[in-house]
Amino acid sequence: MAIDKEIQYGFMPGCSLSSYNPDVVIQTVAYLREALPGFSAVLKCCGKPTRDLGQYELFRERFEGLLTDIRDVKIEEMIFACPNCKAVFEKESQVKSHSLWEILPLIGLPEEARGKAKGSDMVFTIHDSCSARGDKAAQEGIRWILTELGYKYVESECSREKTRCCGYGGMVNPVNPELTRKVMQRRVETLADYPVVTYCATCRSTLLKAKRSAWHILDLIWGPVVYAKDEPPADVLEVPENVWHNRFKTRRGIAEGCQ
Amino acid sequence: MNLAYERVSVMNTVISSETVTLNTKKIVEQCMGLESPFCKSRCPMHTDVKEYVARIAEKDYEGAVKVIREKLFLPGTLGRICAHPCEEACRREREFGQAISIAALKRFAAERADDESLWDVAVGEDTGKHVAVIGAGPAGAQAAIDLRKAGHAVTIYEKEEKAGGMLRVGIPKYRLPRDVVDYEYRYLDKLGISLKTKVKVGTDIAFEELVRQYDAVLVAIGAQKGNVVKIPGHAAKGVYSALDFLKEVNLTETISGKAGKVVVIGGGDVAMDCARSALRVGAKSVYQASLESLAELPASKEELDQAVGEGVDCHFGWGPVEIIEENGNVKAVRLQKIKSVFDENGCFHPQYGEETALVEADMVIMATGQVVEDVTGGALVQIGGGRYQTNSKTLATAMEKVFVAGDAAGGKIVVEAMALGRKAAISIDRYLKGEDLEEDRDFEQEWSYESRLDVPLPEGCRDLPRLHNNMRPVKERVCDFAAVDEGFTEEQAVEEASRCLKCECRLCLKECIMMEECGKCPKEIFEPVLAGQAIDMNLSYSCNDCGNCTIVCPHELPIRETFMESRKDFVRANGGDAPLAGHRPVKIHQTLGFYSMFTTKVCMSGKSVSGELCISRCGVSADLCDGGENDGN
Repeated sequence: MAIDKEIQYGFMPGCSLSSYNPDVVIQTVAYLREALPGFSAVLKCCGKPTRDLGQYELFRERFEGLLTDIRDVKIEEMIFACPNCKAVFEKESQVKSHSLWEILPLIGLPEEARGKAKGSDMVFTIHDSCSARGDKAAQEGIRWILTELGYKYVESECSREKTRCCGYGGMVNPVNPELTRKVMQRRVETLADYPVVTYCATCRSTLLKAKRSAWHILDLIWGPVVYAKDEPPADVLEVPENVWHNRFKTRRGIAEGCQ
Repeated sequence: MNLAYERVSVMNTVISSETVTLNTKKIVEQCMGLESPFCKSRCPMHTDVKEYVARIAEKDYEGAVKVIREKLFLPGTLGRICAHPCEEACRREREFGQAISIAALKRFAAERADDESLWDVAVGEDTGKHVAVIGAGPAGAQAAIDLRKAGHAVTIYEKEEKAGGMLRVGIPKYRLPRDVVDYEYRYLDKLGISLKTKVKVGTDIAFEELVRQYDAVLVAIGAQKGNVVKIPGHAAKGVYSALDFLKEVNLTETISGKAGKVVVIGGGDVAMDCARSALRVGAKSVYQASLESLAELPASKEELDQAVGEGVDCHFGWGPVEIIEENGNVKAVRLQKIKSVFDENGCFHPQYGEETALVEADMVIMATGQVVEDVTGGALVQIGGGRYQTNSKTLATAMEKVFVAGDAAGGKIVVEAMALGRKAAISIDRYLKGEDLEEDRDFEQEWSYESRLDVPLPEGCRDLPRLHNNMRPVKERVCDFAAVDEGFTEEQAVEEASRCLKCECRLCLKECIMMEECGKCPKEIFEPVLAGQAIDMNLSYSCNDCGNCTIVCPHELPIRETFMESRKDFVRANGGDAPLAGHRPVKIHQTLGFYSMFTTKVCMSGKSVSGELCISRCGVSADLCDGGENDGN
């Protein structure tokens, strides 16, 4: 694809990323606003958990509300940070959808981020989200970003279209945590033995629960350069108060950003 | 796996949607998870080859024999002489031409661990019915075993001194030592099967008499009458049918005629048996001639290689046209070059060329087919090769209570004869119980068939060479009738067994921990749904929605999709609400996720679709503002 100057793009960070790290969301919004001629942002849940429970009518009702919001802010094409949101839109709507990881290689990384990690001794491996297994552009984009930042990475055997679920898919954890634990463990065992980069905040949280160091790709773009000895950011999604506090902070940050 | 329900009654009121029903049908029809591996489906007895080979690889030889004996009472015998259709079907054979040495592994397991004290000698409750079986070869013995296990009394009538049929009279001792047959046939005795030897039906007792005396009769006689091609000179002294020759050699280890220069006519395994046996009774030279070219040769490659290795002079594409006599004795055979054996329809129709050859001979052995000799006094109709006319599905005949098995029903190799014996036993058991012979019967499982398994080779699969058995040196082995094949050493057997690719599909179960814990394959998991039951809610709500199942499925079956879709059915049955107690926090989370305090929408720059300038603003949908905080400004 190419960026179309005539198109009003809309960015949706998704729930888990907004709950995890408001700063990276706010900075991404600001960056996209500068880079894209027409730009809007929406913070709302896509409704996937409702759909996953099987409450499809309630999901449609909530999703229609979201589509109305999108129309309200004139969005024509969507950009998603969350692979799950993108998958929901692709299945449930006619809205043209892109992943942020497909857009960033087109508009380039911020000047200050390019090559910033060239001196880092860190070597990552990549966990592709299972909801992005078919999204080659997103997979390529993540690898491009890592290289552009200056990080080295090693591919895992179960990656890209052959990736495995982190354990949190399908809303299984609330009803069958024992199974989630097993799936989580199996995912960790099938990843190369390096700290992990994810592009889903829930996947990152899950990997931390399974005792693997993991960073969200936006931590690396907007945060400090990471070295092999560094500890990953804490698993804030673990604590519900953090989640809602951060979500509110994200909302305020996006809203303030448009002033 | 049992998850906490909010309302247990949900399961009783679930109605599967059309999507779930259609997907389920597709999964049950196309899933290959229960499909037999190629070796097993091609074995007419459906021996669980993959399982026993795996046991051998794990050095669990007793376990291996137990698996073999679930289907075969002759593991040591078949391990030596089975024509092993399983090996032709083996994936390693089809991919690399290097089949697993299945038969040899079976023999190894039997030698290591077949212990008669472990044989399953349980028989069913006495039914009061009595079945006569004519012929104690593999077909008759197999049928007798199955019928006895079903609780029927069985008496076998055998014309020879010992049971075994063609195993004893047709197969050379150097391939099948008779102590192996003796040992394995003890099973019949242990089951309480009565064996009357040296009784020839049709001579010593009339067939009609058996029909009168017994509740059912099984004709399981072998094709033991050798065929001699009626060319000029065929009646000369020194012309043998293969069966007459082999029977004499097998029972006496000598031959009454002069075995100087021997010519064997024929290109099948029987011809090779004759040629190699002739060497062992002192032939100075053995000249083998077959109509078929090397490429068309019916004999197995192993048999041919061993014959050539032992010094048999093989000539392919030559047909006998005349036996030249001198004083009534064989002097030579005139052969003529063959242009083609089969016509364009694949029918046997040899065409001769011009070239001829004269081969000196003291003895000519015609290994040119054998036929079944009638024992019923014409009561049953015979067709090609002396086989009896039967219903090929049930092996019933036009005569009530009379059934046929083995060579007499068209079996060509030992394991086929056994499968026909088993088939006849199933029919006889049904007949004796007054049941329909065909109703609800899975005929496919009673014979070889092509597995529908269609899976990629396992990742990293390499061509590993087949291990061959250890053969005694030629010079030594052609002088006696002791076994030529010494079998595998333990190290070899384990190595050979470890080459097995363990063919199966179940690729999705290797990906999905949930399904792996819940069943053998999607087919098994979803089958109850076709019978009207709802999908197990525990499974439906334990699907990770990751899609790995469909990615690896050769048919890309909608497994994930169906689990996820079925959740809608549970919600519908539960009045629109998610049915599991554990979902409560998710519902709260979702309500908040759409709450105005945590949502926003802003148009920051650019033009609207209509071309109007889009004014930067912040806000939330009016409906969501109700009850929520204002939008944060």
